[in-house]
Amino acid sequence: MSDDQATHAVAVLEHMTRSLVDNPDEVSVEVADLGDRLELNVSVADGDMGRVIGKRGRMANAIRVVTRAAAVRDGVEVDIEFVD
Amino acid sequence: MEWVETTGKSVEEATEVALEQLGVLEGEAELQVLEEPRQGMFGRVRGSARVKARIRPTSPPPKQEKRRRGKKAGGSGSGGSGSAGNGSGGRDSSSSESSGDDSSSETPRSGGRGSRRSSKDSGSSRSSQGSGGRRERREDREPMPEAEQRSVGEGFLNGYLEAIGYEAEVSSSLDDEGILLFQIDGEGLGLIIGPGLNTLDSLQEICRNAIQRQADGREYGKVVVDVAGVRADRSAALEEFVKAEADKVLETGDEAVFEVMSRSDRKIVHDVVTELDGLETASVGEDPRRRVVLKRS
Repeated sequence: MSDDQATHAVAVLEHMTRSLVDNPDEVSVEVADLGDRLELNVSVADGDMGRVIGKRGRMANAIRVVTRAAAVRDGVEVDIEFVD
Repeated sequence: MEWVETTGKSVEEATEVALEQLGVLEGEAELQVLEEPRQGMFGRVRGSARVKARIRPTSPPPKQEKRRRGKKAGGSGSGGSGSAGNGSGGRDSSSSESSGDDSSSETPRSGGRGSRRSSKDSGSSRSSQGSGGRRERREDREPMPEAEQRSVGEGFLNGYLEAIGYEAEVSSSLDDEGILLFQIDGEGLGLIIGPGLNTLDSLQEICRNAIQRQADGREYGKVVVDVAGVRADRSAALEEFVKAEADKVLETGDEAVFEVMSRSDRKIVHDVVTELDGLETASVGEDPRRRVVLKRS
């Protein structure tokens, strides 16, 4: 995992996602460098996506907010995507 | 053991139908959620919940183990009596807790067991399994006790603080209104509060969900996460502001329209105004741009 630029953000994102799913072992975060910012791609087990997204995407947005705050500590901007 | 498969608008509903078909209480059944209703566009519910259930065939863990687990959970928080959590979330308990006639879901953990058992005994005599065994299983489906909720919440928040690399202390308490408060104390934690408590509100929501998930569909109390008391300070300031605005409205008769607020802030406004004579509040707009209007009643 090439997350050396967003260590805190990735750790926070992984921790939160794992806390919400039935299959924490299947949570993974991949980091893509978009030049001016990083994209954090979260994948979870098939049945867990709903939990992570939440009603009207509320949980996904909450995860984004908290992860972006953590990325401030890394000095980077991040986008968080939940990939199927 | 035969499986039954049922559907409903919600998992709870499907579960209830399944239990009715089996004629057992939830704790005596083995349940599998095959499908949860999906959230469609614009929050509409698409599809239905599917649940598979059968009368639980396996023998339960010995009572001894049950006790030990309870004690352990209690040690990590404080007090650790299951009954406090019970009172807090009574609203959710009836659907998931009771399969039918059992109206004792509000009773505290230890007392409730007897009444549940009696209702079970009178309700069904369908199987030859040891009744003591099934009773223990029933216990496994109890609402998540306070101590367990606290330790899950503290664990979640400690993991978060470790991940973000902050040294801070997490403590928790349950007030008499059933609010489970997690307090994070430390230096330089502004980042986890965010503008307008934005980040903290999100963290709180995730924390609540993490607890709810690990409660496995059982009841949970209201969860509040605070950092160095900012919520308390801020709500005190908001209360003062609302009182000042209320005076103006009473004096002039003009409506006061507050700025966009979170749900919890709006509740503070409503609560303050409820205490005042001659005034009423209403919320207008849709989240996340919902605001409170204050006017004479």
